[in-house]
Amino acid sequence: MEGLLNYYAADSFLHRLNPTIKLAGLMALVVAVTMAFDPWTPLAFLTLGLFMLRVLARVPVRQFIRPLLLFLVLGALGFISANAFFYTPLPGRPVTILWQAGGVRIILEGIRVGISLTLRMLAIVIFSMVFVATTDPTDFVLSLIQQARFPFRLGYGILVAYRFMPMWRTELEIIRAAHRIRGAGERPTLRGRWEQLQRYAVPLLASAIRKSERVAIAMDSKAFGALPRRTYYRDVHVRPMDWAFLAGCVLAAAAIVWGMAQLGLLEGYGVVPEA
Amino acid sequence: MAWIDVRHLTVRYPRAPRPALQDVSFQVERGETLLLLGPSGSGKSTLGLCLAGLIPDSVPAAMQGEVLIAGQDIAALTVGQRTAQVGIVFQDPEAQFCMLTVEDEVAFGLENMALPRDEMELRIRESLGLVGLEERRRERVDRLSGGQKQRLALACALARRPSILFLDEPTANLDPAARFEFFQWLARLRGQQPDTTIIIVEHILDDLIAMVDRVMLLNHEGRLVLSGAPAQVFQANGEVLDEMGIWLPQVTALARKLRAAGLPLDRLPLTVDEAEEVFAGLVPAGPLPAEPPRRPAGSTAGGPPALEARRLSFRYRAGGPEVLRDLSLAVPQGAFMALVGPNGAGKTTLALHFVDILRPPAGHVFLLGEDITALTTADITARVGFVFQNPEHQFVERTVEAELAYSLRVRRRPEAEIAQITDALLASFGLTPYRKMNPFALSQGQKRRLSVATMLAVGQRILILDEPTFGQDRNTAHALMERLQTLHVAGVTILAITHDMQLVADYAGTAAVLVDGQVRFQGTPHALFADEELVAAAELRPPPLVELARRFGLRYGDGTAPLSIREWMGLLQGAPAAGGPAKRG
Repeated sequence: MEGLLNYYAADSFLHRLNPTIKLAGLMALVVAVTMAFDPWTPLAFLTLGLFMLRVLARVPVRQFIRPLLLFLVLGALGFISANAFFYTPLPGRPVTILWQAGGVRIILEGIRVGISLTLRMLAIVIFSMVFVATTDPTDFVLSLIQQARFPFRLGYGILVAYRFMPMWRTELEIIRAAHRIRGAGERPTLRGRWEQLQRYAVPLLASAIRKSERVAIAMDSKAFGALPRRTYYRDVHVRPMDWAFLAGCVLAAAAIVWGMAQLGLLEGYGVVPEA
Repeated sequence: MAWIDVRHLTVRYPRAPRPALQDVSFQVERGETLLLLGPSGSGKSTLGLCLAGLIPDSVPAAMQGEVLIAGQDIAALTVGQRTAQVGIVFQDPEAQFCMLTVEDEVAFGLENMALPRDEMELRIRESLGLVGLEERRRERVDRLSGGQKQRLALACALARRPSILFLDEPTANLDPAARFEFFQWLARLRGQQPDTTIIIVEHILDDLIAMVDRVMLLNHEGRLVLSGAPAQVFQANGEVLDEMGIWLPQVTALARKLRAAGLPLDRLPLTVDEAEEVFAGLVPAGPLPAEPPRRPAGSTAGGPPALEARRLSFRYRAGGPEVLRDLSLAVPQGAFMALVGPNGAGKTTLALHFVDILRPPAGHVFLLGEDITALTTADITARVGFVFQNPEHQFVERTVEAELAYSLRVRRRPEAEIAQITDALLASFGLTPYRKMNPFALSQGQKRRLSVATMLAVGQRILILDEPTFGQDRNTAHALMERLQTLHVAGVTILAITHDMQLVADYAGTAAVLVDGQVRFQGTPHALFADEELVAAAELRPPPLVELARRFGLRYGDGTAPLSIREWMGLLQGAPAAGGPAKRG
C-alpha cells in the first residue's frame, strides 16, 4: 500500500499548475466519468488519466502500478463477481444467463456492469493519483488559503495533522510491540479487535493530546494568528496555463462523452441502450 | 535598568493543588545568560511561558504579579508584541514544527509578523546560517536528525529577532554528541549576538556551564530559592542541590565530594579547564594500579549467553537499507551491559530481535542457548523483560496494581500467588501508596518504576531497557540505576540501550558499541573511553573526568583512564597535598 497516496517530487507540466484549479479540472473529469454506465466510456477516461500520470506528470510506472493492480483485483473480486451473481435487470429486460446451477446463475449483463464499475473506480483512483502525485501538500493548503479563501487557521491545522500522520503509525507500531511483550496478544475475533482498539487507543490518545498541545503552544509562541493579516513566503500563483488546463479538462470530458455517444457505446447521461 | 524584571509572580493552573510558581521575583540584565535549575514540576517551563506572554492567553492559568520587559509591563502589550520579544526553543523536537520543510518552518514565524517577502528571505538565510543549516533549507523537517531539528527550532526563534531566548531543555532528547554540538552553536551565537539575553533550562551541564553567567534555582514548590554565579550556587548549597536532584557538572560534583571528605579546595571547578588548575596539587604522581577497580559483579553463572545474536542481518523492508549487518553479540548471563552508539545504528532494532518483536530466521538469535524461533511467545516473555523508552506505551490496565498483575493473569496463575507477587513488587518499587491510581496519572519517575516492575512480575531473569534514564532528574535516575544495580547483583542480566554516559561510566560492567549495524567494540567502559577514535565514531562524549585524566596523564597500567567519581575520590584522597613529596610507597 505504500506509495498509494504520496507526492512524487518532480518538475512537470502538472506539477507547475495551481493546486486549487488543478483540483477543479480533475474533479470535472471525475464527475464526468461517474455518470457513464457502460464499460467503454470509463475505459476512455482511464486512458486519459494514465496519459496524464505518465506523460504530463512524468510519474514512472513503478510508482503507480501496484496500487492500480490492487484496485483492479479488488474491483474484479468485488464489483464483477457481485454483479455477475446478483444482477437485477430493469423490468422487462431479458438477461443472458451464462451458467446456472440450482438457484445460482451467472449473468452476462451483470459482468458488464461490474466491469463498468471497476473501470470507473480505477479512473477515479487514477485522477486522484494525478493530483496527489503532482501536488506538494504545503502548496495545496496555501493555494486553498490564497485562492479559495479557506480560513488560514484551519489550513495550518490540516498541515500539522498531515505532518503528524507518519508519526502516529510509528507510535502505534511501538505500542503494539510493547503490549505483545506484556503478553497481551492480538486476537483476530471481533471482540478481540474491540479490546485491542481500546488498549491501543489510550496511550495513543494520551500522546496525541500531549503532542498537539505542544505544537499549539509552539505555534502561538511564534505569534500564529496574533495579527489579523499574515503574509506568505510562498505565493501560489494563478497563471493563464491553469485556466487553460481547467478548460482542457472540461473539453476533454465533453469530447469523450460525445465521441462515445457517436460510436453508440455510451450508456448513462440519459442515454438508455436499446434492448 | 534590568532588561527582564519579574515582580512577585505567582501562577496557578486550573485544578492544580498548588501554584506552579509562587512569589517569584528576579531581574536579568541585557545579554546575560541565565541557567534555570529545579526539580521536575518546579515551574521552569511555566516561567518561560509567562515571559513569552503565552500565559494566560494560550495556556490557561491564573497569573498574579508583573513581568516587565525593557521596562514595559507585558500585560499592556498585544500578543504580537509580547511574542516578538521572546523566542522559545522547546524540548520535544517532534512537536514544535508545523511545516514540512526547513525554510517554510522558519518563514512561518515571519509570516505571522506579516513581514514582506524580501525581508523574510533575508532573515531565513541569516538565521539558518547562525545554526549551520543553510545547506539544508529545502530539506524536509522530518529528514533532519534530532540535533538538527533543535538547531532549526533555534533558527526559527532567532529569525524573529527576539531580545530574549528561552531554551526549555533543548538537548533533553539528543544524544551526547548532538548535545555538545548544540551548545557549541549556542556559544558561538552568544559571541555573535552579545545583546541577546539567554535563559536556559538544562539538566546535563558539563558542556554548557562555561557560558553561563548566573544560575537560578526553583524548588519543588515553585519558589525561587537561590540565584548567583554558578560557582557560588554550587558551592554554598550542596544539601539543597542534592535534595532537589540537581545534576552538577561532573568535576564540580567530584570537588564537592572531596571537600566533604575534608580536602581543602580553594574553589569549586565548573569545567575541565578549571578542574585542571584546582586539582593540580592533588593528583598522585606515582603510577596508578595496573587495572581499574572492578564493578560489583553479578553472580556470573556461566553457561550459555543470556542473549546472543549470531551473524544477524536485518532490513525493515526489501531493498531498504541494512540496519543490522552480519552482527554478532553475546550478552553473558549476569552481565550489566550498556549498548551505545549513534541514533540509527540499530540498537533498538537489535534489542527487538531478542524479544521476537522482530522475527529473525532460525539460527541467528538465541535466548539462554536456545534458538528463539523454537520458543513460544510465552516462553520468551517469561525469560526476558523489555522496558520501552516511553513507559506509557506498555500500560494496558487502569490501576497500578492491575498493571503489575496483568502478565500473571494472562498466564492464569492462581490469584493468591498473583496478590503475593504484586504486593512484593509494589513494596520493593515504592509504589504501594499508588496501587489504586491510574498508571497514566503517575509522575514520570513513578511511571518508569512501574514499567520496570511489570517486566519482573513473571520472574524474568533478563531485562532489556531502552533509554532508562531518559529525561529524568538526578534523583529519579539515580534511584532507578541503584535498583538495577541491586537486581544485577542478585543475578539479573541487564542490557541497557543508552545515551547516558554517566550510566555507562558509573554502572555498566561492559559496554558494546554499535555503529552502522555492526558491533564495533565490546569491553569495559574504561577501554571504551580510552579509544578516542571509537568514541568519536560512536558519537559519544567521554565523561569529563576522562578528559581530565588525559590532561593529567593519569592512566592505569592497562592504558585506560579513571572515569567515575568513586575512582577519582580514591585516587585524590590518597594523594599527598599540594607541594608534598611526589613519591608514595
